[in-house]
Amino acid sequence: MKFLRQFKVLTLVTAVTATFSMSAQAETLRLLTWGGYAPQDVVEQFEKETGIEVKITLSNNEDMISKLRATRGAGFDLAQPSQDRIVSAQADFDIYKPMDLSRIDTANIIPSMLAATKKNTEFEGEVYGVPHVWGTSGLIVNREALGTVKDYTDLCDDSLSGSVSYRLKRPTLIGFAFALGEDPFAAYGDTAKYQAILDKVEEKLVSCKSNVKAYWSGGDALLNLMRSGEVSAAMAWDAGGWKLNSENPDITFVAPASGALGWIDTFVLPRKTKAEDAAYKWINFVMQPEVAARITESAGNFTASKGSDEFVNDTLKAQFKQSFPEADLDNINWYPPVPAGLEEMEGKVLDRVKAAK
Amino acid sequence: MSDHASASSADAGVQEDLACTLLSKHFGDFTAVDGVSFSIPRGSFFSILGPSGCGKTTLLRMLAGFQQPDSGDILIKGQSVLNTPPNKRPVNMVFQHLALFPTMSVAENIAYGLKRKGVPKREHATLIDEVLAKVHLPGYGDKRIDQLSGGQKQRVAIARCLVLNPAVLLLDEPLGALDLKLREQMKIELKRLQREFNTTFVYITHDQSEALVMSDQVAVMNKGQFEQVGTPQELYYQPKTAFVAGFVGDSNQYAGKVQSQSGDAVTIVTEQGVRLLSHANQPLLAGAPVTLFVRPEVMQISTSRPATEQDNCLAVTVSRVLFDGAQSRVQVETAEGAELTVALPQTADFQALEPGRSVHVSWQASQCLCFVAPADTKPLGTQ
Amino acid sequence: MSKTSGNFNRTQYRLGFWLLLAPIVLWLSLLIILPHIDMVLVSLRERIASREYAFSFGNYTAFFTEPLYWNTFVRTAVMSIVATVMTLIIAFPVSFYIAKVLTGRPRIALFILCLLPFWVSELVRTYGWMILLRETGLISGALQWFGLADQPVEMLYNDVAIMVGLIYTSMLFMVVPLVTTLDSLDNSLIEAGYDLGGSSFHVMRSIVIPHAMPGIMSGCIVVFMLTLGNYLTPTLLGGKSSLWFTEQIYTQFITRFNWEQGAAFGILLLILSSLIVWLGLKITRQSFTRVMS
Repeated sequence: MKFLRQFKVLTLVTAVTATFSMSAQAETLRLLTWGGYAPQDVVEQFEKETGIEVKITLSNNEDMISKLRATRGAGFDLAQPSQDRIVSAQADFDIYKPMDLSRIDTANIIPSMLAATKKNTEFEGEVYGVPHVWGTSGLIVNREALGTVKDYTDLCDDSLSGSVSYRLKRPTLIGFAFALGEDPFAAYGDTAKYQAILDKVEEKLVSCKSNVKAYWSGGDALLNLMRSGEVSAAMAWDAGGWKLNSENPDITFVAPASGALGWIDTFVLPRKTKAEDAAYKWINFVMQPEVAARITESAGNFTASKGSDEFVNDTLKAQFKQSFPEADLDNINWYPPVPAGLEEMEGKVLDRVKAAK
Repeated sequence: MSDHASASSADAGVQEDLACTLLSKHFGDFTAVDGVSFSIPRGSFFSILGPSGCGKTTLLRMLAGFQQPDSGDILIKGQSVLNTPPNKRPVNMVFQHLALFPTMSVAENIAYGLKRKGVPKREHATLIDEVLAKVHLPGYGDKRIDQLSGGQKQRVAIARCLVLNPAVLLLDEPLGALDLKLREQMKIELKRLQREFNTTFVYITHDQSEALVMSDQVAVMNKGQFEQVGTPQELYYQPKTAFVAGFVGDSNQYAGKVQSQSGDAVTIVTEQGVRLLSHANQPLLAGAPVTLFVRPEVMQISTSRPATEQDNCLAVTVSRVLFDGAQSRVQVETAEGAELTVALPQTADFQALEPGRSVHVSWQASQCLCFVAPADTKPLGTQ
Repeated sequence: MSKTSGNFNRTQYRLGFWLLLAPIVLWLSLLIILPHIDMVLVSLRERIASREYAFSFGNYTAFFTEPLYWNTFVRTAVMSIVATVMTLIIAFPVSFYIAKVLTGRPRIALFILCLLPFWVSELVRTYGWMILLRETGLISGALQWFGLADQPVEMLYNDVAIMVGLIYTSMLFMVVPLVTTLDSLDNSLIEAGYDLGGSSFHVMRSIVIPHAMPGIMSGCIVVFMLTLGNYLTPTLLGGKSSLWFTEQIYTQFITRFNWEQGAAFGILLLILSSLIVWLGLKITRQSFTRVMS
């Protein structure tokens, strides 16, 4: 008898566990995203309204592509790479799935951004991305360096020896190229010309390496360097600058004279997404103006949600206005999609800069 | 070589290689060595014999310099070595487990000390060959240590020290690990080496047979003190204390009380009520508790009462025969229940001795010894 | 025992043997051998167009023709060897003290003290060093407070900082094998060394070190491999001039998406580091089996 009872209990437990795990599997959205893009309160509201559980993995552009490449597009249901990095990754590794725009409330999205993203993420006649958060990268400068640093190349000024930081990644190459009077985006199609530009940038970066305190790789590391005063000028995102500005008014974000670099982070479906419905639900949920404003406050950057500006607090709006007077806003250089193969050329340049003394 | 010359001029008037005065060593509350003084004549084989825990190892380690005495002095060739570190003392030690360097060959083991002493390298080969020949291991220089047998290792360990011509060679029970046959051979071998090198050996052991066979002088050590120092014969035949009598050689021991004394002959009644006559070298009060020692080989065993008058003669029953060739013994029991172990003569008369037989054992009073028993200690069991 | 039952026992024994062996065989083949075979295959192809690959030794020739990669490897190897030697120099007295001088409670206490830093992750340990060494860090502050420096001193982001971090991270892996071998050294051998006239230096050189050689070598191999394969410490403490070979591999895999080149570097690291270990064993005349037992 005892054995029978045990057997019953065991069966019951197994059955319940099985049902539970099945339901959990169907109702989970595995989101591969950036820090601040899925704030806790937004996630909670979404879970309450839809019953879908959201699992968040924080990442960056390269990491997202590497992760999805390793699994050939599995493991996540929704990813958020920048719009310029989608087509080349799709061409090389086939990790994404085309987006069905009819399932998205496009009315909530700023039309010009939607159009730009559609154009930039089109591969073999299919659209892969819809815009979410956008922003720029430029310069974060403290008062000490405010007079000197107007453009990327000013980071090489002798007065800033040992107190400059930037990422050893492609935005730095592009920024310096613009500051050196070149237009790297125009040379995307011309490898020889692009190489010439890269060589010029390499020379500049190597010659001013002594100015660099450290190459930053995580946002928090950079914020710490700026806060402690060990670094007085850095290449970084606008949101980081505004965040530091709220803490310490001596630090501000500066849009470089040659133009800030504009980026748009998107929503993309990994090829083996298991919760497509939930993914579309999430996109439509976070693009509502009121929800999008909360994401703006969390991430520090504005979203492509139409009308969300009204819900954003005044400080952020003021900071945005200060960093981008009308002229500077027009001056933003938006990243076009990167053709395959360019990143390898850039990689070699970055390696050589790293190795230089 | 220059320090050797100065050493020999300094000790011109000194006859001892090694002398200790009132040497003591305590470990916490425990006294390991308690005011020991002795001196060892040049070129003699000196053994320190004692049960484990008697402090002999501590004493040896102080001589070698691995332990610092709490008080007292150590003189080597007349000079105090208390402030001399072990590597500068003119003594060398053969360790209990020999401590041959396993990473070196035989020759390298021997050369180690020569190098440290600054002997020129070109002389090494000759010295090593010589010393290996002396320990009967010619041509073994290139062998690895793990290729040697126990006895060969023993010889290498000794050679390694003797090649340095130490004033004193210390040996810490080096024969303990050998099997019986080999041990017997090595005893003779060690004695031969000591003669040949004419070096002072200080040998510590708990095995009385090793000490007796090899030594010129033996010190019996107990509880941190020397009980008696003397030749093996002295220790065996004229022990000065009950401990020495019990520890050196085999003895039948009886606890008893003094009944009467006339001159150096005492009458003793044992606990079992056997009345015995014994020799005593000190005056004893009637009724004083004593321990009586009789060696198995002094007792005569006979099938009938001996014709001549004996000081002690007991009628006994054979309880057990312990056959061991030349060392055969027989255990007998008196009517009162006192047990005795008697050496069994290898004659035809006693071939058929078997348990239950009635025999007589007898001995002279001068052949047994008695000591006043300490009030609190029990006599040692028959060895 | 009859013959049949003997056979039965033997088959039973065989079965047990294979069952016990199975986990390790699975572990080796699934997690070590198969991935490495895959790595070799990946490293032998080259991207010629999108989603198109061809067999090529290009990734290997790139290593030898591009001085950057080659130099990075040499620098990493040299730094690792220096770090290994320095770790040995620091760990040996510590181990000797633990194994031969101390007894009882203090001995365990010191051993645990060596172990303690390893209760936190490598990342935390490295950040600890960053807090100490950075320009606004503890040491710089203390120097200024004592008047030994008149402005903040940057001690981070140079080779010395990398070296300090690597040695700190490696200490335990040197101390443990050293304590084990030194522990097995009979004290009477050391005493015999002194007794026969050796000074402390000679006893160390002729007796202790030859005995400890297998432990020294196994410690060195482990530390060298760990250092060579370390990623966090050189990257974080070295900053702009870290230039570590594993960082190169990471970059190829993660930021360049160039798995082919990364795999080739990985295989080269494996081969070259094995070669260095083999050379080290040859030079010190130690055999691998003895060192690892």
